[in-house]
Amino acid sequence: MEFLGASECNLGILETLSDDTIQEITESYDGFFTTVESIVAGTGDSSVEKEFASHVYSLCKHGLDSLVRDHFLRSLEQAFEKRGASSFWHHFDAYSDKNHPSYGEEIKEVLCKALEEISIEKQYHEKCLSVVVHALQSFKDQSPEARLNSDVERVQLFSRFRSMLSSTLMTTLPQHFPEILHWYFKEKLEELSAIMDEDDTQERESDCMDLDEKLRSKNGEMDVDEGFSRHDDLVKNIGKVVRDLRSIGFTSMAENAYASAIFLLLKAKVHELAGDDYRTSVLGSIKEWIQTVPLQFLNALLSYLGDSVSYGTTSSGLTSPLACCPTPSFSKVVTPSEGIVRWKLRLEYFAYETLQDLRIAKLFEIIVDYPESSSAIEDLKQCLEYTGQHSKLVESFISSLKYRLLTAGASTNDILHQYVSTIKALRAIDPAGVFLEAVGEPIRDYLRGRKDTIKCIVTMLTDGSGGNANGSGNPGDSLLEELMRDDESQENVGFDDDFHTDDKQAWINASRWEPDPVEADPLKGSLSQRKVDILGMLVDIIGSKEQLVNEYRVMLAEKLLNKIDYDIDTEIRTVELLKIHFGEASMQRCEIMLNDLIDSKRVNTNIKKASSQTGAELGENELSVDNLTSTILSTNFWPPIQDEPLELPGPIDKLLSDYANRYHEIKTPRKLLWKKNLGTVKLELQFEDRAMQFTVSPTHAAIIMQFQEKKSWTSIDLAAAIGIPIEALNRRVNFWISKGVLRESTGTVSNANVYTLVESITDSGKNESEELLAGDEESERSIASVEDQLRKEMTIYEKFIMGMLTNFGNMALERIHNTLKMFCVADPSYDKSLQQLQSFLSGLVSEEKLEFREGMYLLKK
Amino acid sequence: MTTINHQHQDANTPATVLPIAPSKQPLSTAKSVDTQSVLKRLQSELMALMMSGDSGISAFPEEDNIFCWKGTISGSKDTVFEGTEYKLSLSFPNDYPFKPPKVKFETACFHPNVDLYGNICLDILQDKWSSAYDVRTILLSIQSLLGEPNTSSPLNTQAASLWGNQEEYRKMVEKLYKLSA
Repeated sequence: MEFLGASECNLGILETLSDDTIQEITESYDGFFTTVESIVAGTGDSSVEKEFASHVYSLCKHGLDSLVRDHFLRSLEQAFEKRGASSFWHHFDAYSDKNHPSYGEEIKEVLCKALEEISIEKQYHEKCLSVVVHALQSFKDQSPEARLNSDVERVQLFSRFRSMLSSTLMTTLPQHFPEILHWYFKEKLEELSAIMDEDDTQERESDCMDLDEKLRSKNGEMDVDEGFSRHDDLVKNIGKVVRDLRSIGFTSMAENAYASAIFLLLKAKVHELAGDDYRTSVLGSIKEWIQTVPLQFLNALLSYLGDSVSYGTTSSGLTSPLACCPTPSFSKVVTPSEGIVRWKLRLEYFAYETLQDLRIAKLFEIIVDYPESSSAIEDLKQCLEYTGQHSKLVESFISSLKYRLLTAGASTNDILHQYVSTIKALRAIDPAGVFLEAVGEPIRDYLRGRKDTIKCIVTMLTDGSGGNANGSGNPGDSLLEELMRDDESQENVGFDDDFHTDDKQAWINASRWEPDPVEADPLKGSLSQRKVDILGMLVDIIGSKEQLVNEYRVMLAEKLLNKIDYDIDTEIRTVELLKIHFGEASMQRCEIMLNDLIDSKRVNTNIKKASSQTGAELGENELSVDNLTSTILSTNFWPPIQDEPLELPGPIDKLLSDYANRYHEIKTPRKLLWKKNLGTVKLELQFEDRAMQFTVSPTHAAIIMQFQEKKSWTSIDLAAAIGIPIEALNRRVNFWISKGVLRESTGTVSNANVYTLVESITDSGKNESEELLAGDEESERSIASVEDQLRKEMTIYEKFIMGMLTNFGNMALERIHNTLKMFCVADPSYDKSLQQLQSFLSGLVSEEKLEFREGMYLLKK
Repeated sequence: MTTINHQHQDANTPATVLPIAPSKQPLSTAKSVDTQSVLKRLQSELMALMMSGDSGISAFPEEDNIFCWKGTISGSKDTVFEGTEYKLSLSFPNDYPFKPPKVKFETACFHPNVDLYGNICLDILQDKWSSAYDVRTILLSIQSLLGEPNTSSPLNTQAASLWGNQEEYRKMVEKLYKLSA
């Protein structure tokens, strides 16, 4: 615009030109050119400058001032290109094909030297420029109309010069120069960081000094001072480089270089501090480090460059979220400028992000040792609060779950344990449970497909005290705790009759309300339905609490039946806790079972008292009632009990019937009905040379008791005497064989083995086989397991399923479920959950009775 | 035959709307009490049929209507119908079991006593009906009817005339079965 105006003016002048003036212009034009050349080349002295000034004056007089400016700048540019830029870049030519690590020490000096040189060059050019400015100025001073703009002239000219300079350098920039810069700053920062660390240790050392060494502390301080002065030198050194770079227009490049160097250093520091140790919180030390090293460096650098002006000293409302943290005492930052605060925010965000990424990548391991790693979780929580990248966490964690946990190789117990830890850990990170929802879904889905899930959950719930031998933490403990935790937060407790508590709870809930995080999936219900309740989430896996209660009942029955001392305190406690969570009604049967035990204890003492009062004489083979304790069950409330026929030996049978008679006397009209195959027998076997003690099932006891009369039995006879099938006998006898009590030999009749008592250890000779056949015991259960019961019921439905599939071809799971619900109403009516049906159907598929294709079940042809 | 059948089905329609769940239905009218007993009867027949385990016959109520059943019978061994499978529809009247259900072939069946529309001429489904019969006996009767047609009063005269030549008849059955399948 300005230039255009000047040329118009020129044209006006040209019309009024006389020969004289033309002559004058041509002369001064030539003179101008020659003087410019000598000035730029640096060959001219003060006389040349004077001549130059007069030429400029005459040219300006004729309105050719723009020509003066343009030409002068152009010749400066050419000169700079020729000497400044090319020689500047020439310094770095040697490093063009080297990698960063091999730059070596000397490049630092080269850089400094090159920068110094180019600065001198630039200073000289600026001096030349000031000659022009001066010349122009002297003309302008005489023309009053332009006086006002005198300073503008100067600024304009210099800014044009600078942009010319930096563009010249930029266009000739070698590719490796930014790398060199980057490397330089990295090295320098590392040096600085090392100095700071040294100071740190020195300080700590001086802190640790004994009292009698206090005198030497002055030396320590001197060391620190020395450290600081070294540090100041270094900062000055770097500052000079930055200033020089700025002066040649590389402001942003320099900033990029030291920023990236700082970030790199910070990243390395975070990695170094965080490492693979999850037991300590590292966020604090990272922040401290940011405060000590990079921020202090930046502070020093910016103040050295006098930058606070360019950033504006007036600190706005922009404050670090950590502003409340007390700055370390040795920090020199008193009133941080806005630039520093900005830097601090950037660095902190970067540190948070780095730490967060580091922790998220290792989240699986962190959660594996959760209670110990809670400080890492706490760090992660803070990072996430700052960065808000929760979705990153969810994605990465789900993928590592799928890869590492939800595989066939992981035991259900481990998966459940990890699930519980996940719930706890994520609850700490995100109390609303939004992310937990997303993360928990795949685990839940997977666990539903496992058959032993329910059993494992129930064991975890109830076996808190049971020694979990494999030492991988004790999930049971934590779950029992969970049962006890915040009872009042459960909604299905039966608050219905207590309005007061209800209101109170509602008020607490209302006052705690917080909006869902933005990442929440609106389809998945609002916060109120998404309680983070471990028990609830476990029940959610199973499908219904009824199933869980059922499984628990079976387990409880098993436990109670094997008790001999009526000590049921832990069971009572567990049932009470479960009652709180699942409601009185669903635990009613379990309560009755426990009451049975309590009643049994009372009845047992009564009967024994009665018997001791009558003081009946015992025959030689008779046993005292004192040897017997009974558990009296209300059969209707217990899970189905596996019935197995068993003929007890005479004396025992008599004992039982005596007991039953006494019971009848006390509790008329009630009678006892013995379940002879249940319970435990403590017995001692006395041989010629030894005595052995065992605790076994009644069947085992009955078997071994038969050998009291007769040393050798064929399996057929023995089975008949005890009244159990021969296969069952063979199975049970193995126990005694493995203990070296009996010996097996092939009998005369085919299929019938002969069992002989091993009277003395010397003729047994097979002690080593003792361990061989152990373990049979575990597989025996007195209570039909939930799965067995379910399978039995399901076979009835199998026929229905077959029937409907025959007639309708293929059906989806839902439709089968609904059809069964609708038409299978007679006894036993269909009352299974969709999950149960699904697992049953997949059982049929694996038996090759059905096929499952594209979501539809059909008959296998 | 066809028209009568249609009328009957129309008459059935109101009954089909009634929900099945018996406990939730208020027993307001005498008719609904009847419906209840019909429901019970059909449910127990279904249970019996499912538990009986007869091979080659099957039936099951459609979606949500226990008055309409789909049936499946397969041709008995050593008959020309061996290896074939036929779909049937059974629709029960409101006064079942005092009236017989309407039974039709859904799959085309080349048989002397089955017409082109799938209507079946079987005495127990008409005048010889007794409330002692049930779904299972009906299906078994139809299954045996396949092997032993009554050629004296045929609905499908072509089939009746061809019945004498079992080999040709078998080919015909196979050809038509493939067409319908």
